[in-house]
Amino acid sequence: MSDANDSGSPAGDRGEAPGAAEHLNIKVTDNNNEVFFKIKRTTKLEKLMNAFCERQGKNLSSVRFLFEGQRVQPTDTPETLEMQDSDCLEVHQEQVGGGM
Amino acid sequence: MALCNMRLAEERKQWRKDHPFGFWARPVKRSDGVMDLKVWECGIPGKEKTLWEGGVFKMTMTFPDEYPTKPPKCKFTPPLFHPNVYPSGTVCLSILNEEEGWKPAITVKQIALGVQDLLDNPNPESPAQAEAYNLFKKDKAEYERRVRRVVRENAP
Repeated sequence: MSDANDSGSPAGDRGEAPGAAEHLNIKVTDNNNEVFFKIKRTTKLEKLMNAFCERQGKNLSSVRFLFEGQRVQPTDTPETLEMQDSDCLEVHQEQVGGGM
Repeated sequence: MALCNMRLAEERKQWRKDHPFGFWARPVKRSDGVMDLKVWECGIPGKEKTLWEGGVFKMTMTFPDEYPTKPPKCKFTPPLFHPNVYPSGTVCLSILNEEEGWKPAITVKQIALGVQDLLDNPNPESPAQAEAYNLFKKDKAEYERRVRRVVRENAP
């Protein structure tokens, strides 16, 4: 039982991680529009965030980008976030608490 | 056990490729850095145009060795104010009950969407905690005030 466990999981989720293709296709969606980007593992996501905003006519400061529920920083790269090919980023409207 | 891991690897793959907007779900990393496919952390957003809109509620899915024959256990952390959530945070929902609506074909995505739907559609016939149940039955206004507070506390 226990040996099956060890060999089973890494092959599935992490199989593509090391030595996989240098470029990743990343989907960016704000629930209305989907834009696909092809970027290098080591490219800062700032580039993609700017490109998405430019294309959608949005101000970078009015939105936040989330990957698996966590806010993406402009200095993050696909590598630091352990992204895989065909992963997706969500774009949500920036918000602040209070004010009611 | 092998079936459990194979299925979870496939669920993970499908989720990464496509998942409902605003949700997240990923296996946790153990302290040694290896992913534990049998424990997932998820975020369930409140549905738009409901009392729950604006909150994202953290939930843990724990998959037994017998998965997918048996369903995962879903538990809000911290426990959630809701008539069908036990004081421990465990979600009481027919599709998560082996003796009721669970089917091995139910996917992680369907579970996540099912729990989201439960938020605004509590079942008062099957209460799991006294506090939220009593207010839901006896004092709707106060119930709604409490829900709005919970949403504010869980706004991302």
